[in-house]
Amino acid sequence: MTPNEPSAYTVEETAIIRKRQAARSRVMGVALVGLCILFFLITVVKVGVWG
Amino acid sequence: MTTATRDIILPAEWRDFWALCKPRVMSLVVFTALCGLLAAPGNIHPVIGFTAILCLALGAGACGALNQYFEADIDAKMARTARRPLPAGRMDRAAALNFGIGLAAFSVGIMGVAVNWLSAGLLAFSIFFYAIVYTIWLKPNTPQNIVIGGAAGAFPPVIGWAAVTGDVTLMPVLLFAIIFLWTPPHFWALALFMKTDYGAAGIPMLPNVKGQRVTRNQIFGYTFPMAATAILPFALAETGWVYGIAAIVLNVVFLALAYRVWKNEATDAAAMKPEKQLFAFSILYLFLLFAIFAFDRMVMS
Repeated sequence: MTPNEPSAYTVEETAIIRKRQAARSRVMGVALVGLCILFFLITVVKVGVWG
Repeated sequence: MTTATRDIILPAEWRDFWALCKPRVMSLVVFTALCGLLAAPGNIHPVIGFTAILCLALGAGACGALNQYFEADIDAKMARTARRPLPAGRMDRAAALNFGIGLAAFSVGIMGVAVNWLSAGLLAFSIFFYAIVYTIWLKPNTPQNIVIGGAAGAFPPVIGWAAVTGDVTLMPVLLFAIIFLWTPPHFWALALFMKTDYGAAGIPMLPNVKGQRVTRNQIFGYTFPMAATAILPFALAETGWVYGIAAIVLNVVFLALAYRVWKNEATDAAAMKPEKQLFAFSILYLFLLFAIFAFDRMVMS
């Protein structure tokens, strides 16, 4: 049994993993939305819509 | 990824990735870059200016991550750094390496496409210089590590300036020189009262290799060219009186504190109050000097 197999985790460890994955996903989601907005604004500036 | 008490690998927390970026160093990089950007002649669209600063922050984060990847073993030996994600075992080394390379590539790419390729080139070179030349080559091999390595920390205001103007003239070179000459007294003051820590990690910092007397001489010696360079923008009429007076006052205080370090003969860290005061003031010095420089240039323009 390798450490990465799901069955190697206890209930408590699984709960910690899920909690950390959820937190990382939220941070990644916020970062991606922020980058989408930034890339949109850069494009608008570069094509000269705002002069 | 993290190894827990058993052979269980847990995913690292996002806070560990944030810690990997050395947020305090990142804040100084962002600040000096912003000052360079605000002080530069010409205009930059706020969105492009924000992008330039963001890329610089991400580039600084990449430097921090790559530095911690290469120095995980050294960090584990020093009390000051032993609780970082890698030496504390909260993160897998490969994750740190991938994170650092990804941030570096992303920050340089976006800087080139959105701002200009001169800024991107300077950013790429500064990341390479810090992560490879300083971390791998200079730091473990020479007591002059932070003198030459200080160049990496001196690039941000130049990059901020280049983001606006698209070129590098005398003024950004002077900003580079101020940070470059500020770095030795700043870091050697720290190295004096952290001598045991650096010694335990086998890093050849000047106090460990040449002794405390030589280090104090060098701190005092570097303060003079640093002060002269800091006053040069005013002497060359590139700034107004606000910066001129502030630069003179700040450098007189810096010289006075460096003089107290030079006169101090203490070998025990507990008796190194002048060194601790100089280290603390050196951070305030750089913040104030650059803030007033940017303010003065903005008022002048």
